[in-house]
Amino acid sequence: MYESLPTITATRTDATVRTANRRGSAWLLAMLLIPAIFFSAANAEYGDVVINEVSEEAGMRPVVFPHWFHRIRFRCKVCHADLGFKFEAGGNDITMLKIIDGEYCGACHNGNIAWSVENCNLCHSGKPGTKTQVHESTLQKLVSPVKR
Amino acid sequence: MRSTQLSISCLSLTLLLAWAAPALAESGAETYRTKCIQCHGTGVLNAPKLGVAADWVERTKKGKAVLTRNAINGINQMPPKGGSLQLSGAEIEAVVVYMLAQLPGDGAAAKAKPVSTAAKTAKADSAAAAPKRVAEVAKPKPKPSAKKPKPRGKPVNTFNRLMRPPSQRNLPPTRDGIHDASSVETAALQHPKEAFGPMPKSNSGNRVDWVAALSKGIIDPRFDLEDDTKKPIVLDLNIVREVKGSMPDVVYPHKQHTEWLDCSNCHPSIFIPKKGANNISMASILLGQQCGVCHGRVAFPVSECRKCHSKNKSKVAKK
Ligand code: HEC
Ligand code: HEC
Ligand code: HEC
Ligand code: HEC
Ligand code: HEC
Ligand code: HEC
Ligand code: HEC
Repeated sequence: MYESLPTITATRTDATVRTANRRGSAWLLAMLLIPAIFFSAANAEYGDVVINEVSEEAGMRPVVFPHWFHRIRFRCKVCHADLGFKFEAGGNDITMLKIIDGEYCGACHNGNIAWSVENCNLCHSGKPGTKTQVHESTLQKLVSPVKR
Repeated sequence: MRSTQLSISCLSLTLLLAWAAPALAESGAETYRTKCIQCHGTGVLNAPKLGVAADWVERTKKGKAVLTRNAINGINQMPPKGGSLQLSGAEIEAVVVYMLAQLPGDGAAAKAKPVSTAAKTAKADSAAAAPKRVAEVAKPKPKPSAKKPKPRGKPVNTFNRLMRPPSQRNLPPTRDGIHDASSVETAALQHPKEAFGPMPKSNSGNRVDWVAALSKGIIDPRFDLEDDTKKPIVLDLNIVREVKGSMPDVVYPHKQHTEWLDCSNCHPSIFIPKKGANNISMASILLGQQCGVCHGRVAFPVSECRKCHSKNKSKVAKK
């Protein structure tokens, strides 16, 4: 039913970086300005973060964090300065232990500010096999022949 | 607040229906997406799934009128009006019309004999449901059947080949491709369209202008985890960065950023706080560095050139 998800492979990103360094911005700009941009089975909301560093290995679905939903309720500062979330999908070593001890998602999902952790599948809602990613990020959207 | 909005939207729906019966299937689709999809999109509780003929064969034999009445009053595991009690009878009927139209072969049996069940129920239902509209509603609709049956497989010459077509934007979690639609809880997650409804629109990203939504007070996100009275300290300082070539200069506004962010989010990890001290280029932005740490990921995407390149040059340099 679904096609495989549009994830940029590591090699692809490396190649992009290398080429960019060699030939500078013109190449990248040209790439961006090709009016053809991204079309695939996954059409999730811009900024949705999939976190799947340890979840699936441990037998749970990947976690989906919706930025759009949370930024209606909190400014970026609350999470990215006060709670210490680094600007990197999968870059925070989040675990359930930290969450139940009130770190990361657990600073809010504690039954006080937001619903508590027993609602496993509201967070662990990702389609099995989905990799850690920021959905719709620039690199993910650029047209590339390897994707289809 | 919520109920005002609702009655406003009900009112506009009423007007819409009164003026344009053909738009019925369309509005039915919209209601379906916000109120019925949780169960009928996933088959939870054995609800008949949208577009799955096998789930509907026996039901369509009852005829549209009976189906509508059952949807209004509830049947077995199906709560009255799917739990959305604010919906009028006519609105439910519109969804039923839409649901039947999604069936391969088109549920023609049910549509052949449109009976005005909705007329009765809708009248009792709410003052908003004017009899005139109901009469319109009960007329046979040629529109939905003309549209279907859906072609099988992907057609080659779709209008947008590589770009996402408008119909694929702001999809509900159950259909967005990264959520597991077979998980019951996924249906409990919010539909983005519901949240974005009152917000100013934009052309990209979430298709919402977050800066305007905030400055107009349509959203009021907390600045502090617990204390919802705390307000950010906004720094109104523009930094102009000259750009070679024809592109307008970049104006970096501290104001809009400090509404959302803390100084420590950018200084010194991303930018040295000194005008001109950072070597910024479009290439690195596209690769997710500098402004691209946020723009092209969460803040508005890089495709919005004009938002950053906002200061036209007095004289366009020619090289
Ligand atoms: C409720 C908490 C929360 C709020 C509010 C929030 N974020 Fe995030 N943000 C996160 C989480 C969680 C991640 C993923 C971290 C991870 O995977 O370890 C993330 C990741 C990111 C990333 C990294 C994406 C990448 O490239 O890998 C960026 C950029 C980002 N957020 C920007 C923002 C901006 C800009 C805002 C304000 C408009 C914002 N965030 C508001 C929680 C939040
Ligand atoms: C508020 C959101 C949230 C809720 C609720 C939640 N989790 Fe998690 N969980 C996470 C995040 C984030 C991770 C780290 C994801 C990753 O890196 O793969 C995680 C990781 C995990 C892991 C991986 C190993 C570990 O111990 O960290 C398991 C197993 C897990 N969760 C089980 C559960 C179960 C069972 C529940 C319900 C009792 C639950 N989770 C509820 C957010 C949540
Ligand atoms: C909480 C889940 C749920 C929601 C929400 C829901 N339904 Fe249902 N619906 C069901 C179930 C379960 C059935 C099957 C009932 C049965 O056993 O016959 C059903 C059956 C139906 C039927 C067929 C009735 C029949 O006589 O066979 C119609 C029509 C229908 N629903 C319309 C709607 C409409 C319109 C909405 C939105 C306004 C809606 N439903 C929302 C669960 C739901
Ligand atoms: C700064 C506080 C905060 C943090 C941190 C936070 N959340 Fe939330 N989250 C909320 C609030 C508030 C809600 C709304 C709760 C409600 O509806 O009662 C919410 C709701 C959600 C929802 C449901 C959205 C919907 O459609 O209703 C999901 C999923 C979610 N959070 C996942 C996460 C994950 C995963 C993390 C960690 C990576 C996280 N949240 C971290 C405050 C937070
Ligand atoms: C979104 C990122 C971001 C945030 C948040 C931010 N700044 Fe800046 N700041 C910049 C950029 C970009 C420059 C320009 C650097 C350049 O020209 O190389 C800058 C420049 C400055 C300068 C130098 C001005 C000059 O004329 O030399 C000061 C001072 C400064 N910022 C202070 C602050 C303070 C105080 C805050 C918090 C209230 C803040 N900034 C928040 C991105 C940010
Ligand atoms: C730490 C994250 C972050 C960084 C880095 C950042 N921005 Fe932003 N920017 C935001 C957020 C969040 C907004 C609010 C609007 C949104 O989310 O779409 C915003 C808004 C803006 C706006 C206001 C648009 C409007 O409609 O008024 C401009 C212009 C802008 N950014 C330019 C820049 C430039 C130029 C840079 C690099 C020098 C930069 N930004 C770096 C997060 C960031
Ligand atoms: C998030 C803000 C932002 C957006 C969006 C943006 N730019 Fe830029 N752009 C910059 C900044 C900052 C610079 C560097 C200016 C300087 O030299 O200090 C730049 C520089 C440039 C340059 C000069 C060459 C170079 O690579 O430095 C060109 C050409 C350019 N942008 C084109 C574009 C086009 C075309 C778009 C739309 C697809 C775009 N930009 C969108 C911020 C942005």
